[in-house]
Amino acid sequence: MRFFRQVWVVTVKDLRAELRTKEAINSSLAFALVILLMFSFAFDPLADTTREISGGLLWIVFAFAGTLVLNRSFARELPNDCLDGLIAAPISGSALFLGKACANFLLVMAVQLVSLPVFGVFYSVPWTKQFPELLLVLVLGTWGLTVVGTVSSALTVNIRLRELMLPMLTYPIMFPALLGAMELTADLVTGSPIGADKAGFLKMMIGFDVIYTAVSLLLVETILVG
Amino acid sequence: MREKALYLIGVLAVVLMAYNLAEIAAQPSEALFYIPLAGVAGLAAVTALVAGIAFLRTRNFQFDALAVAATEVGLAFLAAGIVCGCFLTHAEGGRWWSWDARLTAALVCWLLYATYLMLRHAVQEPSQRAAFAAVWSVFAFLDVPLVVATIAWWKPAAGMRMDWTPSRLLNLLALAMVGTLLTVVRMRQEEARRELDSLRRVTHAI
Amino acid sequence: MSAVAVDGVWKFYGDYPALRDIRLEAAPGTCLALIGRNGAGKTTLLRIIAGFSRPGRGHIRIFGGEPRDTETRRKMGFIGHGISVYDELSALENLTLYGKLYGLTDPARSAREWLERTGLARVANGLVREFSRGMRQRLAVARAFLHEPEVLLLDEPFTALDDKAIAVLQRLLREALASGKTVVMSTHQLREALELASHVALLARGQVAFHGPCTPEMVADPGYVYARYGEG
Repeated sequence: MRFFRQVWVVTVKDLRAELRTKEAINSSLAFALVILLMFSFAFDPLADTTREISGGLLWIVFAFAGTLVLNRSFARELPNDCLDGLIAAPISGSALFLGKACANFLLVMAVQLVSLPVFGVFYSVPWTKQFPELLLVLVLGTWGLTVVGTVSSALTVNIRLRELMLPMLTYPIMFPALLGAMELTADLVTGSPIGADKAGFLKMMIGFDVIYTAVSLLLVETILVG
Repeated sequence: MREKALYLIGVLAVVLMAYNLAEIAAQPSEALFYIPLAGVAGLAAVTALVAGIAFLRTRNFQFDALAVAATEVGLAFLAAGIVCGCFLTHAEGGRWWSWDARLTAALVCWLLYATYLMLRHAVQEPSQRAAFAAVWSVFAFLDVPLVVATIAWWKPAAGMRMDWTPSRLLNLLALAMVGTLLTVVRMRQEEARRELDSLRRVTHAI
Repeated sequence: MSAVAVDGVWKFYGDYPALRDIRLEAAPGTCLALIGRNGAGKTTLLRIIAGFSRPGRGHIRIFGGEPRDTETRRKMGFIGHGISVYDELSALENLTLYGKLYGLTDPARSAREWLERTGLARVANGLVREFSRGMRQRLAVARAFLHEPEVLLLDEPFTALDDKAIAVLQRLLREALASGKTVVMSTHQLREALELASHVALLARGQVAFHGPCTPEMVADPGYVYARYGEG
């Protein structure tokens, strides 16, 4: 129980610090909207063919915008050597990691839930029809992105080209989950339910989340302390 | 003594591949190579994973040298395999890339392990670099089955057939030997680099 | 049982040994001053003791426990080069956060108490971003002492402190030592440190060149240890 209380303390701390400055969430949201617009120029948003692939486009937007939030995750601990304070505290590395991951998850979900209606308007898709399933896919995909991204944030915190390295580390690992999310979202956003042939993707996304959460919790101490 | 063993392995590998010469002449040679090349890359990935975990347990830098050597050799072989696959695709249909499930999965796995090398280059301090690399090789390795499965679902028609004929198995053995050779050579280079690095630190300290 | 026991610690950067076979002990209630030139390994050793990195060989024991153990970390306080407090939060929020992380029963009350003791009560709700340098340093001291740690590990604590902060820190350290706490501090400011120290250890090129009680000669002439045992 103490573990979850510590996770909560870290999550609240991250959220409070972020909401006070709103740096990451503002830039992430702006970036998402800009990319959505750019895609509308690249692919005719009113054509039927575009509507079919729009679910895939949506996840590219989410992945890129999410990286801006994830980059801040451990980077916010650099000024004043705050990371030292957290590592010295009597909380396990996993509690620290999970707390940050939860905060990141909430922030990225917030950006996504704001971008979704905008996307729906731009592409005229009935995204509310399968909303519970869509939300499920969003949650699963975002949690995977968050976990891998938070680990990458921890790995790259002291590296010179951090902003470049974090996406390069995160996206290849995310391939299966992103592909699954894109396939499922492409259907759900146009109002059709998940077909039997695509149900495997859902199971794979759950598996991805479980595996990578477990591995991250096990290995994060090695990353933080060496 | 060790050199002689390495030369012997190299010669054996060439002999084994020469054994296949007749078959190579008969059919498109890329087909004989690209699956074995991918197979060796897979073996390299397993080696890198085991070496990484061994480093985390023992903190012996020889394991780290093995991990980076195996990964680099695996990447080289996988790249060769993908190129062979492209040639085969071109020979069969005219296009250079047809989003064949196996080739696509191979490309994604290649990118995955390329990020491992990028991470290594970005971390300066040797102990930290080895620890981070070991952690990342676990992440990368776990992703491989997920990538293969997902892409198989994505392109169900093509499938992930890996046909192992006897000549391909022989090639696998030969290429694995070549791979081992290259890995050992790379490991030596890595150890020399480490020694140089520590000498440099000693001179700076004085 | 000694408060801090460094047993045969080596630290490697690749193949290069930055620390070689360090053996040190600090009994409870003593103050060990770790001195040495730049690059001797003081910060490296202190960070290993504090649990920020692992030694290549050897062990650290804090009251018999591992520094990476959460129970042991509860007894440790660390002040490094940075202040380890968040600019975007207020002084009170920062200390309450650390109070919660350290599992204190009433984090807010302890936070207020320590703000008083470091003279920051008036700015309790001010954001750290707006603090002067001296105030930030006093907040760092409050953060380290907040959970009443048994062992205090300080990395060059007097560097870049203004007079008021130095006075606060010396007072708190004296009180802590008087109540039986243990202090290990690395330092360049020999005068301030040697006034408090009961023991001295000199690190040279990653090895312990001298380890013994702090004598009056040392306090009178801080260069004495370097001249006698170091490279001069």
